[in-house]
This record gives sequence, structure tokens and C-alpha cells, in this order.
Amino acid sequence: MKHYHWQPALFLAPAIIVSLLFSYWPLLQDIWLSFHSWNMVSPNMKFIGLQNYLQLISGPELIKVFSNTFIYIAILVSINFLLPYLLSFVMAHRIHRFSFFYRSILFIPSTLSLAVASIIFLWIFNPLAGPISLLLSTMGLDSPSWFKDPSFVIMAISLIIGWKVFGYNLIVLFAAMVAVPKDLIEAAKLENASSWHIFRHIIVPITSPTALYVFVITIVFGLQYVLVPLNMLTQGGPDQSSTNLVYIVYQYGFVFFQTGKAAAFAVLTMLVYAGFLVIKSKLLNKLVHYEN
Amino acid sequence: MKINKSYNFHWHILLLIVVLIELWPLLFMVSTSFKTMDQIFAATLNPFPTSFILDNYLRVLHTLPLGSYIINTFIVASGITIAKIFTSLIAGFAFVYYDFRHKETIFNALLFTFFIPITVIIMPNYLLISKMGLLNTPLGVILPQLADGMGIFLMRQTMRGIPKPLIEAGQLENASPWHILTRIMLPLIKPAIFAMGIVFFIDSWNQYFWPLLVLNDKASYTLPIALQMFISAEGGSEWGIAMAVATLTSLPPLLLYLVCQRFIINTFMQSGVKG
Repeated sequence: MKHYHWQPALFLAPAIIVSLLFSYWPLLQDIWLSFHSWNMVSPNMKFIGLQNYLQLISGPELIKVFSNTFIYIAILVSINFLLPYLLSFVMAHRIHRFSFFYRSILFIPSTLSLAVASIIFLWIFNPLAGPISLLLSTMGLDSPSWFKDPSFVIMAISLIIGWKVFGYNLIVLFAAMVAVPKDLIEAAKLENASSWHIFRHIIVPITSPTALYVFVITIVFGLQYVLVPLNMLTQGGPDQSSTNLVYIVYQYGFVFFQTGKAAAFAVLTMLVYAGFLVIKSKLLNKLVHYEN
Repeated sequence: MKINKSYNFHWHILLLIVVLIELWPLLFMVSTSFKTMDQIFAATLNPFPTSFILDNYLRVLHTLPLGSYIINTFIVASGITIAKIFTSLIAGFAFVYYDFRHKETIFNALLFTFFIPITVIIMPNYLLISKMGLLNTPLGVILPQLADGMGIFLMRQTMRGIPKPLIEAGQLENASPWHILTRIMLPLIKPAIFAMGIVFFIDSWNQYFWPLLVLNDKASYTLPIALQMFISAEGGSEWGIAMAVATLTSLPPLLLYLVCQRFIINTFMQSGVKG
């Protein structure tokens, strides 16, 4: 029965057709578009070879986009990977009760729309009358204009994502933490191993495949989640100081209507993502191998 | 082992602080939606309105085609959910039940689509959907999202857990693969499908970016997009109304979550175990 090739093909057909048509074909189109100059509506599309790429590399924007992207990554990894990692350890191995209560409450923001989160935080960060500015003024501090100040905007946007994604990552990490055999930890305690030693030599190695997964989605999806508050609250501003590698593609495509350059950015972004995912799977193989 | 209570105490304090931080913005959303404009500015930090008013909600009802926004969102979310469940189920089945060439490659290629950043593919997809004449329709939003790499991954994981003898018993009786999938496997994995469906529904209910591009006509808006209307350049002044719409938008996913908590949390816990 396993030699009917058309049977699995039939079961896979819907998923494969949708993926080819709406994921892989667009990637090829991006490559094709990136060699052209076009504004998306005009009937004139001009082949210009590598010019979009040359402009992209020589422009000052690329450095800004990459450095913004790194700042986003640094903040998101701290709030949505390091903090939940430590806290999930506390929940799995340092408390003995109420862990389900904490999990269910902390997960709630993950069920909300990023559009909702953006509106809430627009009010919370309102520099004149919002709650944060009131709290700061009781301490005698002036509130910055969070979404309009180049030095605060990335932090403010990242905090929205941090708030919304924290609980989800916490739960995924918690699943890995509770899977660490308790007797391993007890045995180490009997030998008077320090907490740090237990954490470093038992918890970290055993949880590393899941940790790697959460680390990767924190970056891969984090950079996309920020698109919603970016588009609703700052449009990448002020003066492109909150844009990133993923949002810039949208800006060139749908705000500046420079389709060719948008496509060139899309190709670049895809290459960065693909490279990152390849490194991830190489690392994962190593970790899983090491574990066995 | 004896549990030293004072040993735990500070960890609970820490966790409660985190709980407060996570709940605080939500509390603000809900309470602001019940406040008058005066209260919003005079008693910002008081989460409990001195007098509950429904004015914001009534004004939303009178000024917005709220009913059609809810219906639009519901059509988009349930269309995507049903399609994704079906395609993930049969694709997952193919990967578990059959052996064929390039199996791993095809699986990885499908899973990879899950990680492609949305902006990279929206431009060509937008052009395609507009060529098909599907702008401003729910179908235009749904069409590119009929399959889901993570759904296929989850279904494959779940079906791998079904004991082989059950499937072999079906084969001995000459049951067709479709019969084996729907009569033998499906009843066993219903909870997993249900949980996955809830997650798909919440995700597509909340969607913002792709619907924003496809739905330009105000009548075709979904709720998360309608929220955009309450943001003016200076941060908006209709806070009460904005928070009322935000609260209404959040209600369905929130209720679904509260009712099916255990299910959802368990599914999410599994989703990350083997990335």
C-alpha cells in the first residue's frame, strides 16, 4: 500500500500548493522585482540590474536599519528570553505551589491582539497625562515623549512586545524546566552542589534545545511583532529611528512605493533570516547529539 | 523532603510582582473604557472608576458599524481556522502514514514557511490578491493563509504518538487510508485538534498586518484594524472610546482562553519542546 505515490501527494497537495503559491513564488518574485525600478501601479517597469542593491549598500540607511535591528534583538532577548528563562526555573524548581495559577494569569496578554496592546501602551506612555508620566512626576521626573524621542522609541516599542509575549515564552520554557528530572537535582544537592552549579551543569544543558527554540522565535518573530506598534504608533520614525530589517521592506513597498528597492530589502532580509535559521538547526543538531 | 516555607516566600513575591506588571495594562484598558473623559484625566491612576458609565460603549455602538466588524473578523478567523486544521491534518497524516522520497525535505520546506517574515512576501501576495479582484473581501485575507507550517508540525507530532498496532489493525481489515485517518486516528487526536484550532482562531482573530493591506474599505474592516481609527497624530483624545473598542476586540479571545485554559497551555507547552 505504500507504493501509491499519488496518495501521499494527494494528502499533501493543499499544503504544498498554498506554500508554493503564497510563500515560495513571492520569494522568487522578490528576486525578479529587485532588478527593476517600479512603483507598483505604473505600467512601466524598468530593468536596472543591480542598481537597487548598490543603492542599498551605499546608502546610510542600511547601517541604521541594522543597528536598530540589533538594539531590538538585544532588548527583546533580555525581556522575552533571559527573564522568562530565569523565572521559569523559579516556577519549576523554587516554588511548590500555585505554579498553574501564575502560568494561567501570565499567559493572558499572549491571547490579545498586538493592535490592542499598541493602543493600551500609547495611553500608558502618553507623555502628558498617561500613567507612566504621572508616576514619573511623583518622583519629580519629566516623562520623555516615548514614541517621538529617538533614544527611547525602540525601548518603548520593545516593551509592548515584551509585555505581550512574555507569558507565552515563559510557558514553553517552563515545559522544559519541569522535564528536568528532580532526582538529578536532589542527587546534586546531596553532594552539596551550589545552586549555581546545579543551574549551570544540570538545568542549562538539559533545557538547551527548548531554550534555543525560544531564543530563535524571540528574534525571528519579535522583529515581526514590532511591525504592529511600529505601523500604528511611529511609522518607523522619528526619522527612521525605530524601523528595522523587516519593517523597512514594508516601508519601501507600501509607503514610499519603490517596489524594486523594497524587493531588494526583502531579499536581504530573507537571506539574513535563512542564515540565522541554518545556524539554529546546526546548533540544535549539536545540542541534541550532545544530549544523547 | 521538608519544605521550608520562608525559603519560598520571596519567590512568590517576585512572581506576584510580575503578575501585577502583566495585568496592570489590561486593568487600565478595561477601567478606562468605563470612565468619563474627566475621570480619565483626573483619576488616571485609579483603576476603579468612581462611577461606572457605559457612554463609551453606547457611542461605539452608535458611531461604528460594530456588528459588521465583528462578523468580518469572525468570518476571517473561522475561515482561516477551519482551512488550517484541515490542511494540517491531512498533511500531517501523509508524513506519518507514508514513506516517500524527499519526505524530510518536503516537511522542512513546509515548516520553513512558518518562519518567513511577513513583509518579505506581502508585496507579491498583495499584487496577486489584487489581480484576482479579492481586495476588500474576507477571502482575500484568508486565501494566502490556508495552510500552516507549525500546524503540520504539531499534527505530525501528535499522530506519531498513536500506537502502531491500532493503525495496523485497520490495514489488516483493508481499510482505506482515508478511513484510517478519519475513523481510527481522528477520534484519538481530537483534543489536540481542538486545542490547535483555538490557537489558530485566536491568532487570526488578532491579525493586523495582512488584513490592513487587503481591507481598505471601511465596511470590510476587522476589529484590530478598526482600532487604528482611534489613533490620531497626537495620541488621540477619545481614550474612553478607543479602550471600549480594544476591550470588545479582546473579549472573544480572552473568553476562549479562560474557558479552555488547560488545553491551550498544554498545547503551547508541547509546541516548544522539540523545535
